Amino acid sequence: MKIAIVTDSTADIPPDLVEQHHIEVVPAIIVMEGKSIQDGKDISRHEFYEKMPTLETLPTTATPSSGTFHSVYERLIQGGAQAILSLHVASRLSGIYNTAKLAGKAFGERVHVFDSGSISMGLGFQVIAAAEAAAQGLSLEKISQHIRTIRKKIRVIAMLDTLENIRRSGRVSWTTARIGSLLRIKPFMEILDGNVLNLGQARTRRKGIEHLKNIIYELGGLERLAIIHSNAEADARQMLADLKLDLPDAPRVVNVTPVIGTHVGPNGLGFAAVLK
Amino acid sequence: MTMPPQPEGSPEFVEKIRQQPIDGLALKNLAAAALTWLRTNHEIVNALNVFPVPDGDTGTNMVLTMQSAYDEIENSPEDHAGRVANDLAQGALMGARGNSGVILSQLWRGFARALDGHDVIEGQTLAEAFAVARDTAYKGVVRPVEGTILTVAKDVAAAAEAALDKTQDPFEILDIVVEAAEASVEHTPELLDVLKEAGVVDSGGKGLYFILEGMLRFSKGMSLDTAVATVQPLSAINFDDAMQTVEPGQDYEVVVDFRPNEPLVLEKFYTDLEEMGTSIQIGEGDGMYRMHIHVPTEKRYEPIDYTMTLGTITKVHIENLLAQMDELEREHQEQPLKLAPVEPGQIAVVTVAPGPGFANVFASLGAAAIVEGGQTMNPSTQDILHSFENLPTDKVIILPNNKNIILAAEAATEVTVKQTAVIPSRTVPQGLSALLRLIPDGDFDNVVKDMTSALEDVQTGEITTATRSVEIDGVNVREGEIIVLHNGQLILSSHNLRDACLQFLEKADADDYELITMFYGADIQKVDAFRIADMIREAYPEHEIEVQDGGQPHYQFIMSIE
Repeated sequence: MKIAIVTDSTADIPPDLVEQHHIEVVPAIIVMEGKSIQDGKDISRHEFYEKMPTLETLPTTATPSSGTFHSVYERLIQGGAQAILSLHVASRLSGIYNTAKLAGKAFGERVHVFDSGSISMGLGFQVIAAAEAAAQGLSLEKISQHIRTIRKKIRVIAMLDTLENIRRSGRVSWTTARIGSLLRIKPFMEILDGNVLNLGQARTRRKGIEHLKNIIYELGGLERLAIIHSNAEADARQMLADLKLDLPDAPRVVNVTPVIGTHVGPNGLGFAAVLK
Repeated sequence: MTMPPQPEGSPEFVEKIRQQPIDGLALKNLAAAALTWLRTNHEIVNALNVFPVPDGDTGTNMVLTMQSAYDEIENSPEDHAGRVANDLAQGALMGARGNSGVILSQLWRGFARALDGHDVIEGQTLAEAFAVARDTAYKGVVRPVEGTILTVAKDVAAAAEAALDKTQDPFEILDIVVEAAEASVEHTPELLDVLKEAGVVDSGGKGLYFILEGMLRFSKGMSLDTAVATVQPLSAINFDDAMQTVEPGQDYEVVVDFRPNEPLVLEKFYTDLEEMGTSIQIGEGDGMYRMHIHVPTEKRYEPIDYTMTLGTITKVHIENLLAQMDELEREHQEQPLKLAPVEPGQIAVVTVAPGPGFANVFASLGAAAIVEGGQTMNPSTQDILHSFENLPTDKVIILPNNKNIILAAEAATEVTVKQTAVIPSRTVPQGLSALLRLIPDGDFDNVVKDMTSALEDVQTGEITTATRSVEIDGVNVREGEIIVLHNGQLILSSHNLRDACLQFLEKADADDYELITMFYGADIQKVDAFRIADMIREAYPEHEIEVQDGGQPHYQFIMSIE
């Protein structure tokens, strides 16, 4: 049975892995200076982050249309796919899942849309696992089961450089209710089952990075790891170099999509991991 | 992007629109108006988002969905209302984005279904269409939540049905429906707690309201390209809120009371004022208007001259904002603290704060209760106990922030049935450092451990005036000199505050750190505190320097280096 894997650009899967695993990535939309831009297609991540501080109003984001998903599904089925697994960013954070779900209805049992409950490589690792399982020729049911197992082992944690963007983006309850800090702080957050949790804060970047490393060590054995950042490549590489970890695959360093970047601000640093 | 035909606004135009039956072409104009009005106001909808990343922009999503619906009919000559509605629904479905966009597309789907076979929309049909739209949208959602766009759709349908008793005219029904939608949107926070907590109304519901209002405005010949300028009752204008948003360069506040000679055209009034300044607020009561605006110094008389052309001015008030800001800041400090809300089962932190400024800082970082006290006013066990006994949780962490208060805090833990722990913070900066690590939903023992380990993350400097001559720790101090304690140890004395600060930073190896925070006390003027901070900035150009009002007595500065 030929099974196609679809995700959206908030999965942050590096291009070579997208190609290697034959993953179909639907771009999310960034609205910048009044123009709709396709994530990853019309603007590079580096370009976006360089430009962001010069903009008067923060870019906003939009989901791809259900028509976009519809035509992707249609093309894949015409290309011979007998089933499609479509995995997306947590539905609590984004309308992408529901949009894909709506488009999928037209294809009945052939399109299965999953809510990853996660974001960035936390979603990416689930997608890659699904693609690997599909390549092994596992049944649809086995693959779904596999994705559910992986999902429980995903951890996504990051330190933001500022509260400003996330506060302006959409009022994560703890950024207004609890942490409306008078002091400058760098909040730690975790994405778990689609919730954005506060994991405390640091006041200096150096201490924050130390704290991040400790969190990684305390997770215990890891299957996979990606360092994720919003245009803080140097810090991300340094942190990875400092980490003493024994992993089957070398961890990737990933600049997160502007779709997330506009909400978390530049210089965020964190990781997505799959526990053993 | 396409713009709909703009109504001319003449009575004849309005007459014409409202007299003619709503056929396919009229529906097309209404859809265009809905799209334009929604787009004009979509930032208002975006600003209402409760949920976070990565694409919580309801307004943008709804505009794109509506745009896709309109694109489907834009170039169609179809004049059959049912077929136009069907095309709109098809376009909305294909362009649906985000949760509200998906629901909007379902509303159009239901609306179109009810119009199937109708070449024009009459009152009865319109009410039915709203009802089927509601049913379709509710069915499209697995677990419908009230207080959302669904509720607004439901209230709209009910209002349309009730309106049939009074009128069969579709535009009169639309009038009633828009009013109901507005009331419904305003009511959403009562139905959905997250809205209430965030202090907003539902964004999707608001978007639906703008869609309906856009149609109504078109039928009345009102403009669609100027965002809503809200007029509030005079009593509701809160100038304090406006103060919070003073923009650089807008140095003067001008308030003009006037009675217009002719009915005031609000949009134009608002647009004209926007040319002059920001923070515009307009209030009305008994035909009397009050206009409030912030303008740059050179434009401070412009709003007055302009308003004079519209009517009779009864009162003018001009004030220098920068001076006003200082005063306001002082008042704000006297306002009650905004403590972190705690839910049963969560970990609450109680902290001792030696001044109102510190109390604010602690509260802003998530403290659930504050006990006043410090060096010269140690709170009692009773004071500490009282502060947390009524908190709705049984897990409490206490930050004494002073070596003389640690014992009282520990005693409080022995007489309570709650699960408590004292983190032995000996200075206020230590307490702040520990509080940063609080995870209210975390495991109690782990959180205590983590917070305790953070005590060592920070160096503390306490700077005060010696009350008598003495020699301690090898430092000779004369009464009246400035002395500095580094992590509780007396390390130096100096003739002036400036040198004391600099010497302290040197002795504490501030070079090795990144951030210096200076909390200034009640006995020192803000300007003096900032002057010293500027001097430290010069000496440590690579460091971040932050200045905060601590409000502590006796100590000119409490500093943290981290």
